[in-house]
Amino acid sequence: MLLFLISILLFNSIESLSAYGLSLFAKTVWDPENGVYGVLGPILGTLITSLISVSVSLVLSLSLAITIAEYLKGYSKKIISSIVEFMGGLPTIIYAVWASEYLVPFLKNNIMEPLHALLPFIPLFSCKPITGFSTFAAGVALGISTVPYVASIILEAYENIPLTYREACYGIGATKYEAIKILLSLTKPAIIAALILGFARSLGETTIVAFTIGNSMTLTPCLFAPSYTVSALVASQFANAFLYQHAESVLYASMLVTTLTSIILSLYASKLIVDWRSRVVV
Amino acid sequence: MYSWRRIRDRLFELAVFGVAILALTPIFHLIIVVFIDGLPTILEAGLEFFVDLPPTPLSRRLGGIAPSLVGTFLMTLISLPVTIVLGLFTAILVTEFPKSRLSILVDTVAKSLSSVPTIAVSMAMFSLVVMLVNTIPELRVSLNPAGSVLAGSLALVIIALPFSYTYFSTFLRSVPATYKEAAYSIGMSRWAVIVKVVILVVKKSIIVAVLMTMARIMGETAALLFTAGRYRSGVPTSIFDPVDAIPLLIFDYMLSPFEVWHKVAWGATLVLLLFYMLIFFVAKVVVKEVKLV
Repeated sequence: MLLFLISILLFNSIESLSAYGLSLFAKTVWDPENGVYGVLGPILGTLITSLISVSVSLVLSLSLAITIAEYLKGYSKKIISSIVEFMGGLPTIIYAVWASEYLVPFLKNNIMEPLHALLPFIPLFSCKPITGFSTFAAGVALGISTVPYVASIILEAYENIPLTYREACYGIGATKYEAIKILLSLTKPAIIAALILGFARSLGETTIVAFTIGNSMTLTPCLFAPSYTVSALVASQFANAFLYQHAESVLYASMLVTTLTSIILSLYASKLIVDWRSRVVV
Repeated sequence: MYSWRRIRDRLFELAVFGVAILALTPIFHLIIVVFIDGLPTILEAGLEFFVDLPPTPLSRRLGGIAPSLVGTFLMTLISLPVTIVLGLFTAILVTEFPKSRLSILVDTVAKSLSSVPTIAVSMAMFSLVVMLVNTIPELRVSLNPAGSVLAGSLALVIIALPFSYTYFSTFLRSVPATYKEAAYSIGMSRWAVIVKVVILVVKKSIIVAVLMTMARIMGETAALLFTAGRYRSGVPTSIFDPVDAIPLLIFDYMLSPFEVWHKVAWGATLVLLLFYMLIFFVAKVVVKEVKLV
């Protein structure tokens, strides 16, 4: 079924790949009238958005996982874990609506504008956040939505560390902070795997990005300008793409690249976890 | 006397707590604002919200989301049983014969399938099912290729299958080996052990898996973007007719510039959130019972 899916994508991509070759991935143009396409912008946009998303969710989910594993007991632990589970299953469209109506204005007023005012000379913050819909907003929104996913992987790994390690830490008189530091260093491969999985998930996420990224075919180093990711591009252009020659196929080709990246990353990450488990846990 | 080590320990605890609270804030804020913005819509529209057609962009009446509601219900009804049966069987296969080559292959495929972007599935199903249906003259609804209940449900099955498979195999693996050994020792066949022992032990967990899969199917947006057809002025009469779903309605209406559509989208978001909360709490109650037994 998997091969089947990929071959459908591939089959539909061939047309554009043979027409444009690799130059398709070297430019940023979307001009169906003249049949000129280049999807460098969306592909970079996808990578940058996912990077922001992973950094946001690393900070949040690491603390969340530590809190649940180390500081909470009994009922409070159960309740907080249930809330995390609840967040994990929440339909992404609800996150998307919330992010576009509340998170984006909040980020614009409290983070983007101060950063732009203070550090306009750094290219990343060089453009004025006009609407707030931007790569940065999409990354943060995605990061928040992947927290439960990343946190649950980290938590599982962390709680799988054999008790003896923990006892050894406290046995030599470590404070809780020192013990957590040591235990976290033991979980490092699993945390990295969790991040790769979070990254892979962010690559293909559509709904939240389509609502927050501002949909614009540009290539700029600035994080506060509207942009595109591959999936947002597909979501907004695919419905009309059949009207133009090659447009549909270009979308298939860029989605094929995203899909393959996502699959390879997540297989690599799950191998990391399996290796880590056989080394540390057993 | 506090040494630096103790102070650092406390500071770390505070920082971790702070960030953890920050991580949980969005969900509370989200639930509150969805209620604040969604409730007025539903109250204003009244019961008609669930039985009426959506409004035209400039209408004063709010109308309702009946076609989307029916569509979501219909596609869930079709895709859920298929997903559950396929997911359960593959999970049984893989947990019973974990070393066989087929099982390893199935496991890898499930892992990769769950990382395929849902919108990619939507595109693939569009080029396969939608285009195929479109070539049959009797089934064509319009000149442009439109989606159908069939294409939407198939896309949902592909999305939900790895999800439900992961759930099922986790639960099946949690059955203690002693139970199975006891069953084998009294001469039960492999099949009988699965049906009479394993399934009974994890019966309630299976209900949870079914509920969570259902939540996943109901909330899926991207998979339906090109497969369902976004047909909002009526309900489908056959599986080849285009259809709508609640997440799709929210997607389109929220991104539209019309005030009345925004209102409807908020109402629909609240409806979706309530559905999800209901499913989640029922699942939690079932899990609680599992632990007591």
